[in-house]
Amino acid sequence: MIQKLPAKKMVITGDYAAAYGALLCDVDVVAAYPITPQTLIVEEFSTFVNDGITDAEFIMVESEHSAMSACIAAQAAGARTFTATSSQGLALMHEMLFVASGLRLPIVMPVVNRTVAAPIGIWCEHNDSMPQRDAGWIQMACEDNQEVLDMIIMAYKIGEHKDVLLPVMPCLDAFILSHTVEPVEAPSSDEVADFIGEYKPHAVLDPDKPMAIGTFTPPEYIQELRYQTHEAMKKAKEVIKNVTKDFASKFGRDYYGLVEEYRCDDAEVVLITVGTVTGTAREVVDKLRQEGKKVGLVKSRFYRPFPAEEVKKIAENVEAIGVYDRAISYGSGGPLFIETRNALYGMDVPVINFLAGLGGRDVVTGDVEKMYEILLENKGKKPAKEIYWIGTRGVSI
Amino acid sequence: MYEIRFHGRGGQGGRMAAEAYALAAFLEGKYAVSFPFFGAERRGAPVRAFTRVDDKKIRIKTQIYEPDYVVVLDETLIETEDVLEGLKEDGMVIINTPKKPEEVQLSKPVKCATVDATSIALEILGRPITNTAILGAIAKATGKVSIDSIEKAIIEKFGARLGKEAGEKNAKAARVAYEKTLVGVSQGGKEFVPRKRWLPTVEEMPIGGAIGTLQTEAGLVGIGSFIENKTGDWRTFIPVVDKEKCIGCRLCWFYCPEGCISMVEDKATVDYDYCKGCGICANECPVNAIEMKREVRE
Repeated sequence: MIQKLPAKKMVITGDYAAAYGALLCDVDVVAAYPITPQTLIVEEFSTFVNDGITDAEFIMVESEHSAMSACIAAQAAGARTFTATSSQGLALMHEMLFVASGLRLPIVMPVVNRTVAAPIGIWCEHNDSMPQRDAGWIQMACEDNQEVLDMIIMAYKIGEHKDVLLPVMPCLDAFILSHTVEPVEAPSSDEVADFIGEYKPHAVLDPDKPMAIGTFTPPEYIQELRYQTHEAMKKAKEVIKNVTKDFASKFGRDYYGLVEEYRCDDAEVVLITVGTVTGTAREVVDKLRQEGKKVGLVKSRFYRPFPAEEVKKIAENVEAIGVYDRAISYGSGGPLFIETRNALYGMDVPVINFLAGLGGRDVVTGDVEKMYEILLENKGKKPAKEIYWIGTRGVSI
Repeated sequence: MYEIRFHGRGGQGGRMAAEAYALAAFLEGKYAVSFPFFGAERRGAPVRAFTRVDDKKIRIKTQIYEPDYVVVLDETLIETEDVLEGLKEDGMVIINTPKKPEEVQLSKPVKCATVDATSIALEILGRPITNTAILGAIAKATGKVSIDSIEKAIIEKFGARLGKEAGEKNAKAARVAYEKTLVGVSQGGKEFVPRKRWLPTVEEMPIGGAIGTLQTEAGLVGIGSFIENKTGDWRTFIPVVDKEKCIGCRLCWFYCPEGCISMVEDKATVDYDYCKGCGICANECPVNAIEMKREVRE
């Protein structure tokens, strides 16, 4: 239980927004292990516990693997749980991510995107969360701190929906959100409780009615379970759209479901972005529009489930599509680019991948302008090159 | 190509027999593959192993459903399941039993070879391990591979693991079995109630596989468990508790991996329906109140 918290406007970091979001959702159990730049999230939450604002159980564990294990056990016992991690910490959790989704436990875990060693870096790159693609987690990226707080609230409503029952991983860019303060509006605890409702677990570990979960299961049963999870991930698309719609009508902030289109009407070329680069790209789009260039922006919010239908619909009306990635699948391309091209199979529209900001390098407006310039040059053509490494010394564009 | 399915119990060496047979065929210039089906089983559980032999490279990777030959290492198995399932029309079954082929009752009359491999093994090896003796019977009954190759394969395979002398003794067991194998036709008419299985569809499957016991047409079931599958028949040794000696310390109750021990009036009591006879309870008992005895079944 939490103390009653009034609606208020705060100037807070992305990490605080994540912690405060979890507080508003009245989570029962938090188990976490510190790692920069996530540490502030669980530090802030432990302060809420210390101050008596919540009576949530805060479990100190010895590793991220144990953090996820503790959340899995608590969630299986019927608790609403929360944890957070980054980079190597997420990599260490990898094994347990499959257990959470396999048991269909809607744990919510913000991931502060940080580069994965080697070499060691603490700055923003998406090569920690994106390799978790096939772990059965809903994965989405936030653009600003308001979206972080709002998304934690929506994550519980989406994950706990009876048609979904999957864990959710809202991602926020290291430092660019995690350690940056900006104004954020927080709803009251009553409004949030009313919005997300009570968690109704599909099965609960109960000493009076003993059962085993995740037990040794022969080939006769596993394929049906895999199909169930696949269907749940597909059904999550509709649930996400409905939840963002409900959220907009209740709190006044609309996130437009799986993707947000920005100035895409009559656009000749569009750029699909992920994470904080979206905000910078909005500025660039406004500037280029003033110059009379017909450019648009598509903010890709969800990586899993991937909004293939939405992307396809957008592609029908444009002459070139760019995809911005902050991670690389070596030897192939950016993860979002691979997904996008897969979704557009059979269509003629040229698709171009832009890699920038790896290892946390700042992505500036000039970088984004360059991307639009390349897109406009390739309108309706078969592109000579599919992958552009923007701002990479010694690599020509 | 011809295919063999081996039926045995965990620990009897069915897999080694299937592999040694493949080696014998290989020594005669054939291409041969052999593989077991790995389940949750342990010592005493019904297990299967498979061998395929051909003149050319074998590419197929499936289990064997329509074997040319069925080999049964443990006679008790023909009572609990229809070992002839899927056997080809002109197929043959080779059984370790003291009975003559005409005295063996199966689901239908089929070509049948019998040999008392247990007695042969006890006499030559001093242990009731029948997986080498049965290979001699297969050579005799099928004529597909020579007893010389069987002996060579046994010496190579078992000799490498158990030493030269043991390898040779096992080869001798195969030779004696080869000479004593009888070939005839079995009786038919034995009826089997097909084992009930719970195979839920995606819709019927509990979400995430998370469920307690569920009442279905196949009985009380759960993911990966089957309450009606009385695993007590896997036992070779049975734990017998001396209630006078038992001090009620619960160590056996704690260590039993199957949850088969309960405390009745503070004394350890074994659920023989499911106890697989692993012997851990007897090993852990601090006052030696539990004795593992060779189980004799009707």
